[in-house]
This record gives sequence, C-alpha cells and structure tokens, in this order.
Amino acid sequence: MMSIYPVILMFLPIIVSLVMYLVKKPWIHFLVFALQLTLAFVFVVLVMAYRQDPSIGLVIFGGWDQRIAITFLIDDINLIFIGLTIFFFFIIYYYSFKSNYREMKFFFFLTFLEGVFLAALMTNDLFNLFVYLELMSLLITLLITYKKVENALKAGLQYLLLSSVAAMFYLIGVLLLYYVFGTINLSLIQSGMQDVLDYSVIKVAYAFMMTAFLLKGAVFPLYAWLPKAHGVAQSSISALLSGLMVKIALYLIIRIHHGMFGSPYGFNDMLLVIGFASSLIGVVFAMSQKDLKQILAYHTVSQVGLMLIGLSFGEGNSYMGGFLHIINHAFFKGLLFLVAGVIIKVYQTKKVSEIRGLFKTLPWTSVLLVIGILSITGAPLWNGFISKTLIKYAFKDNLLWFTLFQLIHIGTMISFSKVIMMVFGSPLKEVHVSRASWTQHIPMTLLAIVSFIIGVAYVPLFDWLFGIDVYRINVLSMDVWFDYFIYALIGFNLYLFVIKKDGMFFKWVRQFHIQFPTSNYLLVLVLVSLLLITSL
Amino acid sequence: MHPILTILVMLIAIYGLISSTNIIKSVFAATMLESSLILLFLNLGAINGGIIPIFDGVSIAIVDPIPQALMITTIVIGSTVTSLALIISIKIFHNNGSIDWKDIL
Repeated sequence: MMSIYPVILMFLPIIVSLVMYLVKKPWIHFLVFALQLTLAFVFVVLVMAYRQDPSIGLVIFGGWDQRIAITFLIDDINLIFIGLTIFFFFIIYYYSFKSNYREMKFFFFLTFLEGVFLAALMTNDLFNLFVYLELMSLLITLLITYKKVENALKAGLQYLLLSSVAAMFYLIGVLLLYYVFGTINLSLIQSGMQDVLDYSVIKVAYAFMMTAFLLKGAVFPLYAWLPKAHGVAQSSISALLSGLMVKIALYLIIRIHHGMFGSPYGFNDMLLVIGFASSLIGVVFAMSQKDLKQILAYHTVSQVGLMLIGLSFGEGNSYMGGFLHIINHAFFKGLLFLVAGVIIKVYQTKKVSEIRGLFKTLPWTSVLLVIGILSITGAPLWNGFISKTLIKYAFKDNLLWFTLFQLIHIGTMISFSKVIMMVFGSPLKEVHVSRASWTQHIPMTLLAIVSFIIGVAYVPLFDWLFGIDVYRINVLSMDVWFDYFIYALIGFNLYLFVIKKDGMFFKWVRQFHIQFPTSNYLLVLVLVSLLLITSL
Repeated sequence: MHPILTILVMLIAIYGLISSTNIIKSVFAATMLESSLILLFLNLGAINGGIIPIFDGVSIAIVDPIPQALMITTIVIGSTVTSLALIISIKIFHNNGSIDWKDIL
C-alpha cells in the first residue's frame, strides 16, 4: 500500500497538467496550488513511512521480475532532492502566477515538467531515465521558446539538439551495459559490477554516459547552451533551469558515477580538474558580461564547477559540502534570478550599468538582492558560506588548489561588485515604479529565509539530514568575518580599477560565442578524451 | 545489417553534426545518429533465423524482446524531438530568412 506514494508523486502533476490543458479556463490554474499541497502532504507521509521501514522505497511496476520490470527506488539522497523539487516548483508557481495565469499552456508545460522531473529522480531503470531526460529537454525547450522572440528560438533549438545528441550518447552507454549485464536495472548492475571479468566494454559505456552528464550539467567546455538559454527565457524559467534542471546532471553523477560505477578509473581526480576549469572559466566570463542575466547565467557554470569539486572527493566533508552546495545554489540562484526578473521589468533594460538607485525605487527587492549576493559570495550567516567552507576542507593544505579556490572566490566578488552597484545612487532616467506585487515578494522572501536558516542552523540540520557533525564551522568567529571583508575589499578594488576600464581582453571574452557545430565538436572531443583516459 | 555498417552510419551522422552549418542538416544528422543507434541496439538482440518473441513452447531461437520494446519508445521520442526541432527551424526561417547557424547566432 505504501508503495503507491512514489507513483502519486510522479503521476499527479502529469494528470493535473492534462486537466489544465483540457479545461482551457484561466481559473483552472489555481489547481497548481492544490497540487503542491497534496504533493507536500504525500512527501511528508512518504518520508515518515521510509524512516520506519526503508524497504518500501522499492516500487516494482507490474509485479514482474526485477531484471525486466521498471522500478522506482527511494533512498536518502533522492528524498532530499524530491523535497527540494516540490518546494522550488511551489516558489515558481507562486512567482509567475499573476503574470502568466491567463496563458493557456504555460502552466501545462510547467506542471508536466514537474512530474517528469520527479520521476527522473526516482527511477531505477536506465532506459526509463533516458525517456525522462528526453522529455525534460523537450519541455524545457518549449518553456525557453515560450515567448517566441527571436533569440529564444535560437537558444531553444540549440539546447534541444545538443541535449538530444547527449541523450543519444547516454543511450549508447545503456546499450553497452545491457550487452554486458543483460539488464538495465540500476541497482542490479551496481551489485553485478564486481563480478565482471572484462571491463573494456563497461569503460566505453562509462565514457559515453559521463559525456552526456557533463553536457547536461553545463560543465566546461560544454556550457555553450546554458548562458544563451538562461539569458532569453523568462526570469522564472531561468530560475527554474538554473536552480533545479541543471542539478539533474549532478544528481546523476552521484547516482551513476559514484553509485553504479563506484567512482572508477581515477575519474574523481578528473572531476576535480574539470570542476576547477569550469569554475574559473565561468567566473572570468561572468566578470566581463554587462547583461544582468548573463552574469547570473555564467555564475551558474562557475557554481556547478564548485559542486563538482566537492563531489569529486567521493566522501567526507568536502563531498557533503558539494552535495549541500547543490541545494544551497538552488535557493540563492533562484532568488537572484527572480529578483532580476522584477528589476528588469521595472527598468526595462538588462544592462547593469543603466540600472541605478534600486534602494530608492524598490527597497524590499534591493534588500533581497543584497541577501542573494551575500549568499552566493559566501558571507558568514548565509548558506553559501557553509557549503563553500565544507568544500575547501579536503584541500586546505594543498597550495595550488587552495589558491585557485580563492581566485574563484575573488572572481565571484568582482562580478557581484558590479551587480551591487545597482543598489546605490539614483535612477539614471525616469522609471515607472509599478511596485512588485506581493505575489512576487512572498516567494522571494521565502527563498531568502531558507538561505538564512541553513546559514544559521546548520549544525542541527546536518545532524538530521546526513548524520555528520559540523560544529567546527563557526560563523561568529572573527576570522571568517575578517576573511570575508578582506576578499570583498580586494574584489571591489579590482572591479573599480580593472574591470570598469573594460580592457581588450574583457571585450574579447564578451564577444566570444560557441557556435552549434563547434559545441558538437567539443562534445565529441570530450567523449574521445574520456575514452582515452578510461582506457589507460 | 552488420554492426560495423551501423557504426559507419553513426560516424557519418557525427561528422554531419560537426561540419554542417545548416540547421536542417543538423536536425537530419541528429535523426541519423538516432536511427543508427536503433539499428545497433536491434542487432544485439537479433538471432539469425530467430522468430518473433511469442513463446509457443517449442521453438528455442527467439529474438530478445527487450531491445525491441526499448527501441519502439526511442523511435517515438526521436520523432517528437525531430518534429519540434523542425517547427522551431521554420519559425526561425520566417523570422530572419536564413537557416544557417552562422547567420542566426
């Protein structure tokens, strides 16, 4: 009986979306709130049942033999992700309700996407996962191109084709694994991994699957689709993409790289290098952008790199830091994108240099913006600090990695110095202050509150979620505050005296675009290099 | 069809993705990649002289049904992706009269 709950989590959003599509009346969209309440209730019941008896996590559809049946598996990791997904979709519905509820298909796509995303988190079947990945890229493309403006169409098409090629690569991996194991059940393959005599085919499968995940996660050098897609979509959709949809790749790296393959072939070190490269490149690109949403989008590339750095250690505090950063990033980056949406609507421009005097025009929004910036730059008392400190833990004695990490830190400071300048001064030209309505302020404030709670109550929270003790992080000690202000000062000065001059290098970086054929070339290049690395 | 031939088709598709700057050709190449994959997967389960996977208690050489079930789903998804990509391409063509990646990005 209990096993019905994971099925409800998947099917209820899809059924509700179909109802909304068929009824075609604006009032039907209020259904999404009832849906979110029901999902939250089901989630709580599921968590309580799972705590008592973990064996209910396995759902076998149709009662077939596990080798051929489609199965869902609930465990500690994806319960956290499911909770995050339900909360985040609630925020997005709330935020976009007033501006979008008259549009017939917007909530249909969004709710459908929620069901598919939840299913992709729960599924234990590799082919089923492929179906969900493809469905997700279809729905995300529809949401990116929703306004049918020109840039959105290009970005959407590029995203659709790239991610479907990546999904094909993933499917090749699944095919090879089926060839070896005779099953596509994730946990059966995981338990059969030790008994394999010849690993050569598995290595090839591994390279193909990892390439697909690296593209889905927008990791250097496969990040080309992300800034384009984030820049042109509506702000609520950018927040959703950056806060949640990119995280499926990191979830799959946890589930398949760490879980199913068991972190093989020294690839953890490779992930560390890729993480640093992606983090640094993302920060350099973010520094040189002038468009508010592009800055935030390139920061997603950089933050995904930080998560990979954490995850690459496989266990211990750094791994937990990386894991927590996945969740924290959803909160603060979601907040920043939603705030950017309000600002862009009032000022009618995306150029950071043309937006001034936010505190005078939109006081509460500017406070939320400052909270988001404090979080992402890792100020004590906010959630970004906790996860960044934990990520640093494993390499705090290694001079090279530590220096690079601090460089990324300074880069983040520099690019957000540019953003925080918007708060001061007075508006350059007359703006129509249509105050952002409370339906937009409440969800943003909720995200800010959650950021604060994680930043303050991290000791009991970590004990409860992961069972590890992090009392050594002290947000009240003078050192961390001193550290933060020193780096903020360095970052701000570098912004004033280097970035503001807008030298040749930054102009070149700003005009640097990766075309679609080139990104395909990079995809194949990554694949070939992974094949070479694994075969060594 | 021999597996080597399917892999050859796959390589041609990848070459098309890398080299072509025409949107329609890119969509074509992605579809080709998918088709070659379907052929490759079906090859795995195929047995020479095998019969359809309905067990009648007598025959032994039956074709592995799982690849077939999976590939039907892949065909459906692939056609959806292709049609959406083509629809967006048409919109792009109406908007700026070109279907070249270089012109539109």
